[in-house]
Amino acid sequence: MPIQPRSGGNAKSTNITSLRERAVHGTKTAKNMTASLKETAGLAISAADSAEQLASSVNEMAASIEQVTGSAATLASTANETAVSIEESSASIRSVTDMAQEMASSAQQVTASMNEIALSLRSLRAVQEAYAVSVAEISAATEQMTRSIQSVASNAAGLTVSAEQTSASVNETAVSIEQVSAMTESLASSVEQVFSFTDDLARSVEGVSANASKITDEAAEAASTGVALVRSARSVATLTKSATETTSRLTRDAEESGAAIQKSIQSLGRIRDSISRSSGVSAEMGKRAGEISSIVGTIDMIAERTNLLSVNASIEAARAGEAGRGFAVVAEEIRLLADRSARSTADIAGIIRGLQEVIHDAMAASDEGVRIADDSARLTDDGLSGLRKILAGVQETAKVVGQISDATDQQMEAVHSVVGSINATAAQSKQVATATAEQALSVRSVLQASGQMRKIAKEVNLSMVAQAKATRELLKAAQQTTSIASHLRVTTAEQANAAKQIVAALQDMRRGSAATARALADRAKAGGVISEEASRLAILITKVTRALSDQATAATQIAKAAVETRKQSGHVARTMFEQARAVQMMTASASNVSRKLAAITRANREHSSQSAAIVSSLSSGAPSKSPSAKVSRARAGSGK
Amino acid sequence: MSAPGQSECFVLFEVSGNTWAVRSQLLQSVEMPGPVTPVPNTLPFVEGITFARGQVIPRINLRLRFGFPGIPVDLQSRTIVVRSGNRTAGMLVDSARETVFIPLDSIQPRDEADPAGSPDSSLKYREGTAVLGSRTVLILNLEEVIEGI
Repeated sequence: MPIQPRSGGNAKSTNITSLRERAVHGTKTAKNMTASLKETAGLAISAADSAEQLASSVNEMAASIEQVTGSAATLASTANETAVSIEESSASIRSVTDMAQEMASSAQQVTASMNEIALSLRSLRAVQEAYAVSVAEISAATEQMTRSIQSVASNAAGLTVSAEQTSASVNETAVSIEQVSAMTESLASSVEQVFSFTDDLARSVEGVSANASKITDEAAEAASTGVALVRSARSVATLTKSATETTSRLTRDAEESGAAIQKSIQSLGRIRDSISRSSGVSAEMGKRAGEISSIVGTIDMIAERTNLLSVNASIEAARAGEAGRGFAVVAEEIRLLADRSARSTADIAGIIRGLQEVIHDAMAASDEGVRIADDSARLTDDGLSGLRKILAGVQETAKVVGQISDATDQQMEAVHSVVGSINATAAQSKQVATATAEQALSVRSVLQASGQMRKIAKEVNLSMVAQAKATRELLKAAQQTTSIASHLRVTTAEQANAAKQIVAALQDMRRGSAATARALADRAKAGGVISEEASRLAILITKVTRALSDQATAATQIAKAAVETRKQSGHVARTMFEQARAVQMMTASASNVSRKLAAITRANREHSSQSAAIVSSLSSGAPSKSPSAKVSRARAGSGK
Repeated sequence: MSAPGQSECFVLFEVSGNTWAVRSQLLQSVEMPGPVTPVPNTLPFVEGITFARGQVIPRINLRLRFGFPGIPVDLQSRTIVVRSGNRTAGMLVDSARETVFIPLDSIQPRDEADPAGSPDSSLKYREGTAVLGSRTVLILNLEEVIEGI
């Protein structure tokens, strides 16, 4: 808008009008800027709210935050641009102020001159007043803007704080997520362990089940064997009793036999003695018989000789003839006697021979009898010692049989108790088998559940890792947000400063316009100086105009920047909306997460208790192998 | 050599189970057999020489003379001292214990008495036979017995 510096009062009026227009435009621009700033402030507030909401949120929104970050970066650059524009406007406003001061001094003169100017001045004054009002309005607006900028600044500070808090919270969240991740990993490994333990447990329970059924079968077999054992032990006891009786009878018999043999030995000794005596008697008798035999021989000899004599006598008598007849008879008588005597002695000799034969036989028999008696005595002695040994053996046997009987009684008792315990074992084994089958079922379901748990834990772990990654990214974004917010704060502070300066400039301008008004009034009164001063003013105003034109340009830029800011703010708002939605989702997912975490915690607690139970059952189950204890634990576990 | 109805005293002796009889008139005595001293270059049945009542006589073993085996001398053994002509000899027999009177008509001559008529080793030493009750007695032919010594 070209300005004619030297066009007189009309030109001046035109200038003033254009100035006013410019002022109005500047006001508009300022208003726009204020609105934009307000919008920005609102956006910032909502951003702050969002950020606060964000601060209260915990979870993944990396993409959204990145968007926010991008938007905030753009916002920052826009704000920078705004700041630059505002600085420019501030600078131009400052130069306006300087010029306005000069203009004021000139305008005082102009006013003085203007006082001298006519009626138009009143309208000018009115315009001036309106302008003053506008300036005041501008000033007020600018003050408002300043305040709003200050609030923006404070909000930005709050934003920074919030962003820092967010960052800290996100950090904490990241840490807690890391912890949770670590815990989840350990949980996963625990679940793996639980799974493997449960697998082992399932296998061992199946093995126990198989063993229990085997034990049941074997216990049944053992029970039947035990019954057979009882029968055999009873028969052994009976046999032992009869053996004891037989042995005692044998002992009695052996003792009686010993006594009889002792008597036999004594009798044999007596027999031997008597045989010896009879042998002696026989020998004596043989001797006597021999004596008799020799006597008989002598008698025989005498008889023979008598016979011989009688025969010779007969021969002599025959030779004597009739005279010797009587002698012959005597000789014959003698011969007959001698013959009888010889026959008798022959008989005696025969008898004695027979007697001697008999005695000889008797002696031989006696000798044989003595020998036999000696042999018998020896044999009987041997028999007695053998019998003594037999007796000792029999007594030993009796003792052993008594011990066997005692042992068999004890065995019977033991076998009874064994059979009882085998029956109890069979019953218990059956119970164990049943319980183990139930156990196997429940362990199988546990196994299934722990398999699912493992799957869930893996998924949780995966999502925790993703969460951690997202949180790290969130942390990064929050840090960026913080830095951007601090940038924003700095920028806004600068903006505030600039706004203050604008306000100050506007006040100066107001004062200047007041002075202008006064100067105009003076000029109305003064007049002559006015033209000179007016020309100077025109120059100045031209300068002002130029400056204002610059200002306008700057304001336009401000407006543009404000528009951009608004656009960005809209973008920010949209983003923030998305963010809010994301935050809601995040909250939902956070609550889900917390619920899941609670569930995880609960599951953890259950896992830990179950693991403890499993561990305790495994640790106490392995060495003791007490089926009843296992059953009760299993039942307690299964009851949980 | 004697009238009928007459009997003669005989000494009975035994050799190897047979009872022989010899006339007591031919006998000097009957003795217990004493020690005999062998004499060289004599007949086998002559045992040697021996003493009989102070005179040395040859002793004939009748068992050997009759062809029987000899037996040892015992208490029953006898030496019958006989005389035939001028010769005296002793006959060793198993026993000689009695004297009997045999009626001469009861003695049967050798030829009649041997119904078999067969030659016998001891036949030539038998004069005849006589039956005394249940016993048969062979009558000794002394000449034949001491023939050749």
